[in-house]
Amino acid sequence: MLHEAISDTFFIWRKEAGRTVRDQGALIFFILVPLFYPLLYAFIYTEETVREVPAVVVDDANTAMSREFVRRVDATPDVKVVGRTSNMEEAKERMRRAEVYGVIRIPEDFSRTVNRGEQAHVSLYCDMSGLLYYKALLLACTEVSLEMNAELQVERLGSTTVREGEVATAPLRYQDVALFNPTNGFASFLIPAVLMLVLQQTLLLGVGMMNGTARERGTFHTQLISGQGRGTVRLVLGKALCYFMVYALVGIWVLAVVPRLFHLVQIPQATDLLAFMVPYLLACIFFAMTCSILVFQRETCMPIFVFMSLPMLFISGISWPGVAVPPFWEYVSWLLPSTFGINGFVRINTMGALLEDVAFEYVGLWVQAVVYFLTACATYYYLINESRKKSETLN
Amino acid sequence: MSALRAIWDIVVRECRRMVARPLYLCCMLVAPAVCCLFFTTLMGEGLPKDMPVGVVDEDNTATTREILRNMDAFSQVRLTERYASVSEARRAMQEGKIYAFYYIPEGTTDEVMANRQPVVSFYTNNSLLIAGSLIYRDLRTMSVLANASVGLKTLQAKGVDEHRAMAFLQPVVVDTHALSNPWLNYSVYLNNTILPGILMILIFMMTVFAIGVEIKDGTGKAWLAMADNSMWKALVGKLLPHAAVFFLTVVAHYTYLYGVLHFPCHCGIGPLLLQAAMTVLASQGLGVFFIAVIPTLRLALSACSLWGVVSFSISGFSFPVMAMHPALQMLSNLFPLRHYFLIYVGQTLDGNPLSYVWKSYMALLLFALLPWLVLGRLRKVMLNFDYIP
Repeated sequence: MLHEAISDTFFIWRKEAGRTVRDQGALIFFILVPLFYPLLYAFIYTEETVREVPAVVVDDANTAMSREFVRRVDATPDVKVVGRTSNMEEAKERMRRAEVYGVIRIPEDFSRTVNRGEQAHVSLYCDMSGLLYYKALLLACTEVSLEMNAELQVERLGSTTVREGEVATAPLRYQDVALFNPTNGFASFLIPAVLMLVLQQTLLLGVGMMNGTARERGTFHTQLISGQGRGTVRLVLGKALCYFMVYALVGIWVLAVVPRLFHLVQIPQATDLLAFMVPYLLACIFFAMTCSILVFQRETCMPIFVFMSLPMLFISGISWPGVAVPPFWEYVSWLLPSTFGINGFVRINTMGALLEDVAFEYVGLWVQAVVYFLTACATYYYLINESRKKSETLN
Repeated sequence: MSALRAIWDIVVRECRRMVARPLYLCCMLVAPAVCCLFFTTLMGEGLPKDMPVGVVDEDNTATTREILRNMDAFSQVRLTERYASVSEARRAMQEGKIYAFYYIPEGTTDEVMANRQPVVSFYTNNSLLIAGSLIYRDLRTMSVLANASVGLKTLQAKGVDEHRAMAFLQPVVVDTHALSNPWLNYSVYLNNTILPGILMILIFMMTVFAIGVEIKDGTGKAWLAMADNSMWKALVGKLLPHAAVFFLTVVAHYTYLYGVLHFPCHCGIGPLLLQAAMTVLASQGLGVFFIAVIPTLRLALSACSLWGVVSFSISGFSFPVMAMHPALQMLSNLFPLRHYFLIYVGQTLDGNPLSYVWKSYMALLLFALLPWLVLGRLRKVMLNFDYIP
């Protein structure tokens, strides 16, 4: 009995592999998209950070000190001063024409105020179309002002030594250490999450397409071994085995080779990553099999699943911080393998976490794998019956 | 007159087809509504606050506790846990419990006493970029303020008034004006492009689906016959109901974002309606182009998927186009969302007159006119094409 069940499962596995290889549409999703899509993505973000954001200066003071301020801002890697204008209107006009993303305005009384021992204000106007522009401008100007402040203070404390001056105004120094993504790169941050999501989404699309085809033609029940009676579980297992085989290979390309090609941060414990991937792939496969109940036609998998990639990416808590996700959506996110998968992968791969550090996600994925296996069996049972009825009415 | 009559008949036929398939209802009304509610409630907070941050205080004296109190007071982060060592804190970060931690090394107090200016370190997890940057920005402000507060106390003790003391501590101050989005609201920043982007995907798909399914089911000839074999009449009749529904969907989005949630909108209703109309027409135009060039429903939908999903990355709202490879900068022009984004920034966010964004409108117009190039081919496909599933 057991022997028969196993050989049936492998028979279905072989049949499904054959169907997959012959189905051009499924091959696109299973092979072509995971192969090339990550490359395109990594290429888009390959520059990692924004450098030399163009800014224009309105220097009403035009003194040695104000020119020094501008020169230092220009010298930072983040900002590039592309011009000086004499009035604010002209500067704003250049911003409207998107030639510059920021305006630095130094007031007419800048040096006089500082020399009088009062606070001088430099105004920075930022275009808010992209937060990275804002960040670069703000950072550069703040750094320069801090630097000049320290120097001015030391100058004024003339009588004492330089060190003493520094210490009197700043008893502590602060140092920032960026862990796990030292260059603050956009690619190192977003790509790992996208890679994991690609695995789930292509499975949803591929499995959805194959089941949609069988459903449309009313041939679903013919995939059973005996053509009638029991065998749903064998069908589910055999098919899952086929998808797992394909995705074991695809997964290595997507998660191990692609990050290497683009020099992304990659510090996983290989065995932990492998151990984590097993429940992730299983959960994704059974999730995709369950969701295929929504696909009535070969092509409709795309309108249904493609646009969902974006909500799934955001709900995972990588780009939008997890603590800021409202509780309701957090519970919803637990229904998706991608949530646990992305979080676990980012921690193992990018942050060097061990399997025990991602225990919550790991267990979550196993629970999903089991639950979605059961729902997948129910789905396939329903699909078999539906297709049997359909073929009866056709004949 | 007969042309109008023919178009009207096709409109009625298309409406019947739309009602008959739940897919249309899902993708034209349900999906946009769900996405809109999802994204706006997900980012309801606008700017994430109270992110958990840990502390490793190896010194643990009255002075270091005072330093920590100062930090807590000046920053928007929440000091949640204390850890005995850096490796323990790093572990907590890997487990996802904290986003950053302070590290006060042993001997800090002695060094403060000895005026040796010790270093307090701040470790941020930048594999979560948004959280990392927010906390980093907070640290910068906080360290300036915390130091200033110490300096201020010292100077005040010496009898210097606050005004002069602050002028001494910070002679040059940078006042930042974040134009149009002064709250740095992420919801405003992201949703104004994400939601139209999702709508565009759905419009591409529904346009391709509505035409492609005629090819697949072999009903193309009948459809064309209703329009006296005139492809453009057939297309107008078919896409008119789609356009109407999607236009209303976009307008409903705008009403919700600008009317209910009060996102910044510095242009009038007229420009918004123009944006909505051009979004729908440009997306439909690209959809028709895809299905005419690739008359296999499945492949055309795949092309839509690729175009739609890539447009989020390449439109430049998250990662600036300026910083991309030159080839990609050129390529970005082929995505309607890129032009939509430029129009949104120019008109809605910054309130510039039409003359600053006319180029982007022309681009969208070109997308809307794309079907004109392929009318002949599409007609041929409808009349004689063997469908390959």
